[in-house]
Amino acid sequence: MEKETINQKIERLDEVVDWFYGENFDLAKATDKYAEAAKLAKEIEKDLDSLKNEISVIQKDFTKN
Amino acid sequence: MNEIEQILAEQERQAATEAPKFTVSEFTELLNGTLEYAYTGVMVEGEVTSFKVNQGKWVFFDLKDEGGSINCFMPLFQLRLPLEDGMKVVVKATPKLTKWGRFSLTVKQILPVGEGNIKKSFEFLKKKLEQEGLFDVSRKRPIPEDLVKIGVISSTQAAGYVDFCKIINERWGGLEIQVAHTMVQGLAAAEQIISAIKYFNEKAEVQIIAIMRGGGSADDLAVFNDEALVRAIAESRIPIITGIGHEVDESLADLAADIRASTPSNVAEMLTNEKQAEIQRIKFNVNGVGNKILQEIEQAREGGKTKIKMVGEAVNMKISHLENEIKVKQKVLEGLNPDTILKQGYALVTGKLKEGEMVEIATYESKAKAEIKEVKKRIK
Repeated sequence: MEKETINQKIERLDEVVDWFYGENFDLAKATDKYAEAAKLAKEIEKDLDSLKNEISVIQKDFTKN
Repeated sequence: MNEIEQILAEQERQAATEAPKFTVSEFTELLNGTLEYAYTGVMVEGEVTSFKVNQGKWVFFDLKDEGGSINCFMPLFQLRLPLEDGMKVVVKATPKLTKWGRFSLTVKQILPVGEGNIKKSFEFLKKKLEQEGLFDVSRKRPIPEDLVKIGVISSTQAAGYVDFCKIINERWGGLEIQVAHTMVQGLAAAEQIISAIKYFNEKAEVQIIAIMRGGGSADDLAVFNDEALVRAIAESRIPIITGIGHEVDESLADLAADIRASTPSNVAEMLTNEKQAEIQRIKFNVNGVGNKILQEIEQAREGGKTKIKMVGEAVNMKISHLENEIKVKQKVLEGLNPDTILKQGYALVTGKLKEGEMVEIATYESKAKAEIKEVKKRIK
């Protein structure tokens, strides 16, 4: 399975948060959902603090047409 | 003729017989080959004079300065700017000797030089491409969601590129950025940038292409008004964001791009969120969810209390209703009690109502016995 990107994790977190304000909200399931949201938030914060961008220069020489 | 003169004459005769001979055509061809080898893509700057278009297909003009003049020729379809006498331009061309013995430059590209010429050329091309719909808002695509792979076209030595890298690294992580190093000014730059756009469209899996260069003079930025480059931007399968020059600079490349950022730094800002702000947003949302749960629990508790209260009230009402019913029935029963009637002054007679018979009379307070003297029918 392809590794989830930061943006995908953020999107998933936003969906969990939206669930709390939507029609399907169920107090019985709320604590599990909250735990899921808190875990995701921690992961995202850690990712954002640690992940670096990969910048690579393409080998093709565009200066020679 | 002395001896020395004879020797020289003999050497001249020998040289004449040994030197290669050409036909005119062969020599012209040889010269053109030599010129092409020695001066491929030479750049020449000068002022346009004697500009004319022949048969609606061919462009002729002279390029001159204070020291000389050269004939120039090019096909009309390659002319990407409005040319007129007096305009200062730089041309990329190949020198050629025609079969009629005229020396000329076969022009491949022309760029205007000087602010006035650049502006005139800009307005002409802008109107033309606008009419073709290249700048239509309906063509614009947004920045893709879940952006991970970015293609950058810039000079890696440019200050703008350095700014872009600094800002994007500060703002966000986990991005894969592929950089196509090209020139970003001068006649050759347009072809290089077009080539890089094609490369990304054909070979790379990027979600957006960012074309960038920092600020510069109108001459420096003129490449971003090149018609072929503007068309390549408009035709790109992958959305393009431009960050060219400073905020006040507007190029045709900007107008054709899907998104226009004001500077390379602004490209980085538009492509990414600020990670500290994102972390704050996430924390705020998760805290909000925690509060929402507490709120729901409180509401449920209040709801329970209200229901218990309602049940209590219903039970009390029922009891009260039953009590009232009992009271009514008690009154009815009381009304049927003989003592109640006797209390009102009535008397109860038991025995046979027949003359000479003894009957017993009871009142509330006492009892008595009596003899029946007479019995008559009661009139009702």
